[in-house]
Amino acid sequence: MVRIVTDSASDIPAEVAQELRISIVPMYVRFGSDVYRDGVDLKTDEFYRKLIASQTVPTTSSPKMKDFSEAYDKLAEETGEILSIHLSSTFSSAYETAVRASGRTKKECHVEVIDSRTAAMGLGLVVIAAAKQAQEGQSMQQIIKTVRKAAPKARVYVCFETLEYLKRGGRIGKAESLMGSSIRVHPIIGLENGEVKPLGRERSRSRALDRLCMLAEESAGVSGIAVEQGAAPNEADKLYAKLAAIFPGKDIYSSVFGSAVAVHTGPRVVGVCVLGG
Amino acid sequence: MQEPQGENGSGTAAYSGQDLREMFTAGTAWLEKSVPDINALNVFPVPDGDCGTNMLLTMRSTLEEAYRAPDSNAGAVAQAMARGALMGARGNSGVILSQIFRGLAQGLEGHDSFSGKDFATAFARGSTVAYKALTRPVEGTILTVARDASSAGRDASSKGDDLVPIMEATVAAARESVAKTPTLLPTLKQAGVVDAGGQGLYVLFEGALQHLKGETEAMQNGRPQVVPSVIPLVAKFPQLMTEKEEPFGYCTEFVLQGHKKLAPDKIKKSLTNDGQCLIVVGDEDLVHIHIHTFDPGKVLRHATTLGILHEIKIQNMDDQHKEYTEMVKAQAPPAEIATVAIVSGDGLGQVFRSLGVSAIVPGGQTMNPSTREMLQAVEAVPQDKVIILTNNANVIPAAKQVKGLTSKKVRVVPTETVPQGVAALLAFNYDADLKTNAAAMNDAVSSVKTVEVTRAVRPAKIGNIKIVRRQAIGFVDGELKAVGDKPAQVLLEALQSAGTEKSEIVTVYYGKTTKRSEAEALVEEIRQKYPNLEVELVYGGQPHYDYIASVE
Repeated sequence: MVRIVTDSASDIPAEVAQELRISIVPMYVRFGSDVYRDGVDLKTDEFYRKLIASQTVPTTSSPKMKDFSEAYDKLAEETGEILSIHLSSTFSSAYETAVRASGRTKKECHVEVIDSRTAAMGLGLVVIAAAKQAQEGQSMQQIIKTVRKAAPKARVYVCFETLEYLKRGGRIGKAESLMGSSIRVHPIIGLENGEVKPLGRERSRSRALDRLCMLAEESAGVSGIAVEQGAAPNEADKLYAKLAAIFPGKDIYSSVFGSAVAVHTGPRVVGVCVLGG
Repeated sequence: MQEPQGENGSGTAAYSGQDLREMFTAGTAWLEKSVPDINALNVFPVPDGDCGTNMLLTMRSTLEEAYRAPDSNAGAVAQAMARGALMGARGNSGVILSQIFRGLAQGLEGHDSFSGKDFATAFARGSTVAYKALTRPVEGTILTVARDASSAGRDASSKGDDLVPIMEATVAAARESVAKTPTLLPTLKQAGVVDAGGQGLYVLFEGALQHLKGETEAMQNGRPQVVPSVIPLVAKFPQLMTEKEEPFGYCTEFVLQGHKKLAPDKIKKSLTNDGQCLIVVGDEDLVHIHIHTFDPGKVLRHATTLGILHEIKIQNMDDQHKEYTEMVKAQAPPAEIATVAIVSGDGLGQVFRSLGVSAIVPGGQTMNPSTREMLQAVEAVPQDKVIILTNNANVIPAAKQVKGLTSKKVRVVPTETVPQGVAALLAFNYDADLKTNAAAMNDAVSSVKTVEVTRAVRPAKIGNIKIVRRQAIGFVDGELKAVGDKPAQVLLEALQSAGTEKSEIVTVYYGKTTKRSEAEALVEEIRQKYPNLEVELVYGGQPHYDYIASVE
């Protein structure tokens, strides 16, 4: 069976990863001189507490080559084929590092690495789709084909509390045009093909949620949906209910922006990720 | 402030060194409030990345020395300030500011105390010294503002020796001069801003004046305003920025403390060929050097032969420029559509600008802009598709005339109130075309209810409501809903009939003559009455209207 590897910027809930046998290589999060493995040494709840309370601005970095090698070597004990799908190379060097590690497994093993050009559950949904096919016993070729088709159709739409974190981390791009408002607004940002896009501003949080639903609804042939939040569980519940009404009968994943992503979004964010058909 | 010492018979006061300290302490506190606004005015390639911050830090150092001066001898305090300014000067504007203080100190030398006339003369000296410090003085900068302001102060001092009217004339002239800076300096005009250094100097003196007049409440609650330009301000349009090809080098700045007596003029001469924007200022003991050079090492090596270096700052301007152009590019709206809004009130203007409006035409309730003024703004923006937000029912007819007078494609989104204008502007979509945008912006208008509170200009009876002249009257979407003596109470009452309990967010813009403390108390009351509501208080600065509120 083809085994699937991703990084912790995919925000895949632990139980889903376990069920679908997805290996997650943790990104690193740094608060000053303290370095943590995302989700391993620093659980998400604790991360948000620190993010809000700490004076130091956290940063993230990609897993080291050794981390990927260890993950690949471990799986190579069981399989001869690994598909490693990662956070957009426009945001992180995780993809490049994985590529470098891919040719060096101790045991003979074919490792294919894909740059998803997306992040958070945008990436998560792509990885989940791949893992499901792997469990069905599909071939590496077939799964790669699926991923290459699906990844460009992944969309992430997020309502922010502030864009300061995104700016500080240097990932803001064109969305900078939404900054600097002297009245309170909730900026809505999209992630599409590895690029951050400004989508608009809403004055009230509830209208922002409606806007997220509209954006999800506009994506044609939705095959996967996830609601994500960071320190905003109530709003995520509201968004979930609204989406469940729009997409009856569809499974909607609930997830939390992990520290690798949340370093750039900041707290009090809520978003929807969709995988177009 | 303390009572000025030594009143003489003609009612003219003599001011001590302590008064001088306090004036500029107040000015600096006022300047501090304006730092973010001033920083935002920055125009590259002037490498004053943070002009406001630089001026503030220069002033802090100036004051530190001022308070170190052992007594209240005016001349000695001024001397100490000049030294502090020189030591702490940062950036172009900071260095020029330090020279103004240097001239001021020269002018007050030997004075135990000073009169208004003495101050005016000394400030004029400051302006002259600042001009001399630069090899090639540029007009439309802090220099121009210093000259205009000091010359107005001198004129006023010929009419009387009292410092307050002299400072009033000085500050008024500074303001006027700042407003004109974009007409003198093309880079300012292109960027659509007034000069940051000039603005800083104006705010500094305005703060000093408020202190002299004892306007402590205004200083505590108010905020310095950015002077509006005399020519229409067009928001930054980065596409017009050409990539500068030749490199900038390093902005190199330090203070030199001489082993022996220093000769600033000689140092200046020896560095002239080492770079650009050379400023060498100071005296025999201490010299501040600022230069844009490709070889900072050479400059520093030369300087170390003359003395000890302090406060060394070297910045790579090419990196700064690259960051700046990248930031501007990232900000660049891909859309070819400009937005023009009719707004009165400096605070509201700031709100519209912060939301990305391309140009603002001043006007509103009692001052409807003419078709010509709106046409000028439409012509001034570089885009050939323009959306006009009227923000007032009376402006709509004149705005509609603009369409027929220009070859540009113009759509009027007939917003009747400021909150409608804000809602419409938020609905603007960079990716969409003119028609779609106009439609979306029109739709957004219905998402907001407007409450306005003003005063009755004459007695009236509308429906069953009787109104006495000067009474506060409250409207909900143009319909009279509340009358009372206190504007705040009228707003509360009007909010009730605007369906506020079912809303999520109320934004209260308070007017030019409304006290912030009153507005804060009002907002507190709204919060208590509607605990689930998000309430935001914003300075609008609009005339005639005590309050404008949006209910969404």
